[in-house]
Amino acid sequence: MDTINYSIETENLSLWYGDFQALIDVSVKIPTGKITSLIGPSGCGKTTLLRCFNRVNERYGNVTTKGEIKILGKNIYDQDVSLLELRKTVGMVFQRPNPLPISVYENVLFGLRIHSPFRSLTRTQTDEIVEDALTSVFLWDDLKDKLKTRATTLQLEQQQKLCIARLLPLKPQVILMDEPCSALDAKGTLAVEELMSVLAGTYTFLIVTHNMAQAKRVSNECIYMFLGELIEHRETQALFETPEHPKTADYVQMRYG
Amino acid sequence: MNAKIMNRSELIYHIIAIVTLAIIIFLFWNFSTDKPHVEGEITSDLAVDDTSSLIDRYLYRMIPILCGAGLFSIVIALYLEEWLTQTTWQYRIIERYIVILAKVPSLVYGIFAVYFIVFHSQKVLNYPLLLIAILLVMPVTIRSTQKAIQSVDISVREAAYALGATKLRMIADNVLPNAFPLIVAGICTAISRILAIVALIVIISNWINSSNIFTIPKSAVVLISSAVIASIFSSILDYKQVT
Repeated sequence: MDTINYSIETENLSLWYGDFQALIDVSVKIPTGKITSLIGPSGCGKTTLLRCFNRVNERYGNVTTKGEIKILGKNIYDQDVSLLELRKTVGMVFQRPNPLPISVYENVLFGLRIHSPFRSLTRTQTDEIVEDALTSVFLWDDLKDKLKTRATTLQLEQQQKLCIARLLPLKPQVILMDEPCSALDAKGTLAVEELMSVLAGTYTFLIVTHNMAQAKRVSNECIYMFLGELIEHRETQALFETPEHPKTADYVQMRYG
Repeated sequence: MNAKIMNRSELIYHIIAIVTLAIIIFLFWNFSTDKPHVEGEITSDLAVDDTSSLIDRYLYRMIPILCGAGLFSIVIALYLEEWLTQTTWQYRIIERYIVILAKVPSLVYGIFAVYFIVFHSQKVLNYPLLLIAILLVMPVTIRSTQKAIQSVDISVREAAYALGATKLRMIADNVLPNAFPLIVAGICTAISRILAIVALIVIISNWINSSNIFTIPKSAVVLISSAVIASIFSSILDYKQVT
């Protein structure tokens, strides 16, 4: 019953890059349908933790992981877990917008084509899917006449929204965001934050951010990490206003970081 | 300390590569010069030969060999960059061969080519063509393809992986389209080198056959011009990709 409330759960998760331990016994529960932000100084393991949840970390050699990670109640290191299915369930948006160097239309369909049998999608279906995805991220009006345009030529804000849009046809349960607004200007940041607020509820968001104002604005819960350890995890307002741990207090009151 | 150990191991890999290459070239040389031939045969053969027949016989035959070598080079570069871990000894050895061969001036290959094609032109031989393809085309193409693959932004790869793409899918859909201009630039450089060498062969062959050594055959001019154009095109592609 507990797992229904939490999309992601980790138990004593530790991770090493070679000899360097980047995560130390991290145990965390990320609530379903909410926005949770990960904050902390550079090198504290926020991105490493985020990347554990869709096992993107494993692509780099020399990574050792210990502990348990459950996504929707299922341990993602179990033998019967398909990496493809996991990445379908757990979408990821990166720090810099990284649309694929293909058309806007094909970008939206890229993930879906990977997970669908060859030629199983009709043109009518794909048109509908693309329109739905772009409408969800408020891009349809801007891009409906530019669907054949190379996605890398779009504005940064549009590119980042497109990166979110291409996850939606896969119907992920969880969306991981690694500093999604760091490459965007204020207007672009606002647009992405609004989008997250609209989509929250349908999806569980876990966002890494260096911007504490952003964490305050968009997230329901907030996790503070320091040197690979999870220091504090509480509701955002409580964490910022009445931090329990002195290290958290130092950070949120900007005494360092 | 680590840097010292690294440098020593790099040096050892280089020495191994140079020694084995030298052995291969020595064996090849022995093999190619070992066949029986009649005294004076070479000159008599050249007497009936002319520039256009040389080009007809060799250049056209080289086209499929070069295409094959180009494609094979791309496959090798992909294997090196995408599958073989860069810290393994296999990677380092292959890498050394390629670096050494790619850095050898075209003129050295040109001397080989002149020897085999102009002075052994009695019949069309495949092995010199293959050797030229392997030594001249492949290292340059492999190096440029490797650089092209390395130039693909890691974020693009991550995007594809995060969406569930397999390695093959990621290469086909993301790496190759992104790396394509630089791969073509590398192939153009290789073509340019080949054309320059063929021009050299044509000019030397013409000198041997013609009484007037100061005339340069039209075909040589065309070949040199083509080499320059291919070179410029390669530079433009390189520049465009960088910017």
